[in-house]
Amino acid sequence: MNNPVLQIENLTKTYTLGKNPVNALTNLNLQVNRGEFIAIMGPSGSGKTTLLNVIGCIDKPTSGKVHLDNIDVTNTPENKLYKIRQDKMGFIFQSFNLLPYLNARENVELPLENKIKNKTERKKRASELLGLVGLSGRENHRPQRLSQGEQQRVAIARALANEPAIILADEPTGNLYSQNKQEIIKLLANLNLTRGTTIIMVTHDIQVANHTERMLLLKDGKIVTEKAGLHIAKKQSKCPHCNSSIKISDETCPTCKKALFETDEFFTT
Amino acid sequence: MLTKVCSGFSCQVNMQVLYMGIVNRAVRNISRRKIRASLVIIALSISLSIMISIPAGLMANQEAANDMANNLSSTITETGESITQALSQIDVTMSSRFAGYGFSPDATPTIIQGGQIPRDGQVLNPSNAPGFGDRYGGFRGGEISGQFGGALQASTPMNQELYSDISNINGVAAMLPSLEASDGSQEQTLEMMGRSFTTQIIDYTIKGIPLTSELLSSYNILPSNIVAGRNLRADETGVVLLSQNNSAFFSAKVGDTITIFDTDFIVVGIYEPSASTDNLILYMNLSDAQTITNNTGYITSLKIFTTSSEVVNTVVEEIRSLHPEVTVITGQERLNQLEYMQSRYNEAIESSQASIAATQATALQEIIVVVAATSLIVLFVMLYTVRERTKEIGTLKAIGFSNRAVMAQFILEGLLLSTIAGIIGVAIASFAAPTLSSLLLPSVQSSLGFTLSATGPIVAATTNPVTLSVELVLATLGGAMLLGVLGTLYPSWRAAKIRPAEAMRYE
Repeated sequence: MNNPVLQIENLTKTYTLGKNPVNALTNLNLQVNRGEFIAIMGPSGSGKTTLLNVIGCIDKPTSGKVHLDNIDVTNTPENKLYKIRQDKMGFIFQSFNLLPYLNARENVELPLENKIKNKTERKKRASELLGLVGLSGRENHRPQRLSQGEQQRVAIARALANEPAIILADEPTGNLYSQNKQEIIKLLANLNLTRGTTIIMVTHDIQVANHTERMLLLKDGKIVTEKAGLHIAKKQSKCPHCNSSIKISDETCPTCKKALFETDEFFTT
Repeated sequence: MLTKVCSGFSCQVNMQVLYMGIVNRAVRNISRRKIRASLVIIALSISLSIMISIPAGLMANQEAANDMANNLSSTITETGESITQALSQIDVTMSSRFAGYGFSPDATPTIIQGGQIPRDGQVLNPSNAPGFGDRYGGFRGGEISGQFGGALQASTPMNQELYSDISNINGVAAMLPSLEASDGSQEQTLEMMGRSFTTQIIDYTIKGIPLTSELLSSYNILPSNIVAGRNLRADETGVVLLSQNNSAFFSAKVGDTITIFDTDFIVVGIYEPSASTDNLILYMNLSDAQTITNNTGYITSLKIFTTSSEVVNTVVEEIRSLHPEVTVITGQERLNQLEYMQSRYNEAIESSQASIAATQATALQEIIVVVAATSLIVLFVMLYTVRERTKEIGTLKAIGFSNRAVMAQFILEGLLLSTIAGIIGVAIASFAAPTLSSLLLPSVQSSLGFTLSATGPIVAATTNPVTLSVELVLATLGGAMLLGVLGTLYPSWRAAKIRPAEAMRYE
């Protein structure tokens, strides 16, 4: 599978805080293939958000190259970046960010406004997307009448609307309780699996991250560890720590003896 | 299914769709904060109603001043012409007070048409003078005794017997005694730019003149332009000659019987007045007038026809030596007075022009203040809205809205607010404009009126209603929209500059 949708080379992003330059990202390299589901983890200040912003064409890197769907984003002038976001990106936010005065369907229609000119067609498409996230019949509900989980589903439908090359999810389950959290992560995983949607997700939650194929641990602006999520690892019957064979029923790896459900273990590596 | 690129015709269509979405969102955003939107709209509409009222008031002032100037100049011209035609005439009255028209420096500043005896037979003095003879007041043009006599006849009725000796003076060709009395049924309060005057509306003025065959055959003492029926004839009693205005007032035509001062009269004819200011006068026999007003033997003025204009001065001197108690005015003196008046009026017109200029300066300042206030209201409200919706704007930008689209969104909201406010403002102004403009503008009309009355000549100001012209309404709506856009320009620029990263800020 060598079909990169995102290629990052020697990415450095420097902020100036007062008089001191602070490196948010240092010489970071990352390649994401089409159809991958990736979790970016790491402590506060590790550069997760900066990385997401650079990928999402919200921030421009100080140096390095970012190729998005074969477009050199670093050479795109600032005032054209919106076009890339419009065509290539889907965003999912921690607090859903639905427009409160628009109903579910109208929220999903937003990214379609200058893509589908026919109003009826646009409505139909938005309704289809809402059906895809399990919200058929809720088209005319405003966000305040939807549960948090449902709101995030609307946001996911909105992110899917423009058929983006990459969906960027910033703590998509951060505001949700466990039941909703499970539903949302399963929805994302399912979309990734069935539609081949590329998803890059920033999360603090190892349980959520365990649903991804690759978990990247960021520290001081660098990727320090990269592993498969446990769910995936178990599906593949490979220990994420030492790659030796494991059984689904195992709680620790028979070879390296490391816990397979130790949630904080990833961070302490 | 998805159009990826926007080019040529499809781009136009796309923009249209985009704008429809924008309008929809603008409307919903405004209705989202109902109280705030209402308050803003109220504030804006009040400023806009002020904005429209000021020029409306200015226009009304200008028109009033123009009307007044035209009225004054035409009256002066008319008066001058009729005086010139009758330089050989002399008017005699017994003046209890030299009031009105300002020939005396201590003239009281009371507006007075003056001169007529009201129906109770009491002699008027300036303090209870009936006020405007008509809307344009002031002069009673046409006949000489009317023009100046009007005010001078605010006087004691004279016993006509006392003046029989005047007829013996050498050079006196004839004498025309007359008695005028007015009847006014209603009081009217005239509102003039915020000030009110209570005046009595004179319905008609009777003028009794002796219908002797000598006078009728030698002098034009009756109106000449008869439009219906016939003129009065010598020694007729119980009949009247109505002006067209009288005819309308009494709804009487030739042959009808009308009741004047509780006495019935038959209408024999209707005349068209030579001057519009004469249109309240109805003519009858002097003896009738004296009887119905209980003034038997009394007259209010005596007009003397001399044999030629050369003897006027000697006749006047003799009258003055015989009767020092009476006021005698010659045509020449009137011309002099007219010139004096004219200079007074010119001063008054100049002062009104100056006052209008001052008003315009004030108005300009006020409009600047209102425009600034309106833009600032929009500016601050929209700035606040932008701040409040930072995250929302960030989200829109993250999902691919351009700076231009975001900016257009906010400008449209400002435009919508100010347009609604503009419409309401015009609605408010449509009934409040006179009040607002009188509150905000120094009143030209009253300054004219008082300038005139303070220096003597008293002229009833014309009232020009403050009205909103279509042009003014359109200009105000256009102005409102412009202010809405101007006020939103900076806030929407700020909105456009919001980084999409703001969408990820979590509180």
